Amino acid sequence: MKKFRFKRLLLAAAAVTATVLLAACSSSKGSSSSSTSKDNKTLTVWCWDETYNTPAVKDAIKQYKKENGKQKVKVVTMAQDDIVQKLNTVLSSGGSKGLPNIVLIEDYRIQSYLKAYPDAFADLSSISKKGNFSSYKSAVNTVDGKTYGVPFDSGVAGLFYRTDLIKQAGYTDADMQNLTWDKYIEIGKQVKAKTGKAMLSLDPSDLGLIRIMMQSAGSWYTKSDGKTVNIQNNTALKQSISLYKQMMDAGIVEKVSGWDAGVAAVQKGQVASAPTGAWYSSTIQGAKDQSGKWKIAQIPRISENSKSVNASSIGGGGWYVIKGVGNVAGAKDFLGKTFASSPALIDQLAKDIGAVGTLKDAKSGANYKAAYPFYSNQKVFEDLLSWSNKVPEVNYGSSTYQIEDVMKDPVQSILKGQNINTVLKNAQAQAESAVQ
Amino acid sequence: MRAKRTALNTVKYLILIILSIVSVFPFFFMIVGMTNNSVAITGGSLHFGSLLADNFKHLFASELDFVGSLKNSAIIAVVTTAVALCLSSLAGYGFEIYKTRRSENIFNFLLLSMMVPFAALMIPLYRMFSKLSGTPFQIFGVNSFYAVIIPTMTTAFLIFFFRQNAKSFPKELVESARLDGLSEFQIFTHIYMPVSKNAYSAAAIITFMTSWNNYLWPLVVLQSPEKRTVPLVLSAMGASYTPDYGMMMCGIVLSTIPTALLFFFMQKNFVQGMLGSVKG
Repeated sequence: MKKFRFKRLLLAAAAVTATVLLAACSSSKGSSSSSTSKDNKTLTVWCWDETYNTPAVKDAIKQYKKENGKQKVKVVTMAQDDIVQKLNTVLSSGGSKGLPNIVLIEDYRIQSYLKAYPDAFADLSSISKKGNFSSYKSAVNTVDGKTYGVPFDSGVAGLFYRTDLIKQAGYTDADMQNLTWDKYIEIGKQVKAKTGKAMLSLDPSDLGLIRIMMQSAGSWYTKSDGKTVNIQNNTALKQSISLYKQMMDAGIVEKVSGWDAGVAAVQKGQVASAPTGAWYSSTIQGAKDQSGKWKIAQIPRISENSKSVNASSIGGGGWYVIKGVGNVAGAKDFLGKTFASSPALIDQLAKDIGAVGTLKDAKSGANYKAAYPFYSNQKVFEDLLSWSNKVPEVNYGSSTYQIEDVMKDPVQSILKGQNINTVLKNAQAQAESAVQ
Repeated sequence: MRAKRTALNTVKYLILIILSIVSVFPFFFMIVGMTNNSVAITGGSLHFGSLLADNFKHLFASELDFVGSLKNSAIIAVVTTAVALCLSSLAGYGFEIYKTRRSENIFNFLLLSMMVPFAALMIPLYRMFSKLSGTPFQIFGVNSFYAVIIPTMTTAFLIFFFRQNAKSFPKELVESARLDGLSEFQIFTHIYMPVSKNAYSAAAIITFMTSWNNYLWPLVVLQSPEKRTVPLVLSAMGASYTPDYGMMMCGIVLSTIPTALLFFFMQKNFVQGMLGSVKG
């Protein structure tokens, strides 16, 4: 009896398998023709973040229709790590089958793709004109004089600060302009003493702030060729790390673990400022009860470094076209009529997702001229865009993230009090072997 | 003596209680998270909120098509499990019952393949599947469910598992069945299979779970958004400057249910199967 039941079960399983196999077969047949063929008219765009980049592409599609663009465009949201994984696998398998026509790539990563797969990306020099964008963006997407990307959002850094807490500490808005980091730490100590709140939150394993400081002095983990590791004798890096240490030692830092904890610290009102990228704006505005209490100032500079300016960048990305997928002309047409040239679109994006553009012409847009109540009626977009144009150009090279992985431990050792020169000397050797 | 034993028991239970709290807490947090918004979740709130309905509404309204991904995952996991059980049990049984020196060598070679990490196979595999386009086998190529299923259809582990099971299967049964005039295939289907029910259950749970949770290969090989599986959709949801954690928690709970159910229903068989019991 038991045996009989089991047999019936097996039969049922076999039947299910057969049906499902058939179903899977027919469904894959159905869509393989619509999504993989090369002469397909529909352009596919890959990007990450359903609340930021995806709506940006949708706005671009609307704009494109207004300009009577003929291509159909479809956007697919994926995690950034997933996009990276897919690009790596497919490009290193020697093809481009399955990749989209257009893909969003972070500024820190693009050089490694352009160097490793020089034939994979289409030359966009004809639509992406250097002079039209914040100049630091073109250092990122150019190889041998050819421009491969259309710059998208600006990662321009700003010092978001709470006007009420700064005031309680005895400072005014004027004091927050053109700061040096030394002065920033001094204000932080006052804030801590008078209000009990931390000046900023930092995740010790995230070196974003050090990157901001370095770039403000036009320096990076690698030299301007993008390859030579530049750690041991990098003055700007040394100054940045010691400032980082000074902040930690001054007791003005709320230490957090992970991105979300940092967001929580801001939204709960535990910190008086956040030196970070312009894209942080929408996150801060999540704390609706703090409306009218925030302002944005230029990012502080390194006082001991004469090259350091009150402008820097963190993050940000650009659009790239993959040649082997086909319909390069169509993809160029789409990007050319939207992200590469349309101030109206960039203006719309400021409103819809709070993205600061890098297109210089966008500064006359209505949203760039507008005053924002959340930021005490500051014209934040106008300010951020004008700072974006001053960000020093830096070649991020092909190994920013690899070197940063190496740098995490050395930075911790320095924070604990080890000699900075010895530690960085070792880090240099480690980083050199990591990027080989 | 008795006092000593009580003390020992207390310690034992204390440790067990702590361990169970540690293992249950993530589930608890996940379920509390279903009812809160992102701010509360990142703030570490452990109180039930009132946003359960909203979070579900967002989940089903999301353009990432969560329901579709559940369907895709189900198709892939069920087919993979069914095919893998058939093929691997046949192979494991064969390796044990029809043992020759050559088959032993092949088997050892097969075991060696367990040592190769998938990451190392991925690029060549992708190349193989992408070469299928333009040939009559195009439907098996990239961006099809076949491409997800085929490489995971047989695993060295499963074959090994069934072989171990077949080892404790009494050979006398095979011989007497032969005398009774059953064909070799009938011996497999009529005698071995019913007797090894527990092994099949255990293998089914393991295969289903691996396939359901499989991330890397589907990520690489599936392209069109309407074919994405659950882990891919969850991953895409999380990748945001301002992720909606409440919605994600709902998605995660829903995606845990099928494996949890399968496990609960087959738990008894699973344990016996892993012990290698042959009592049918």
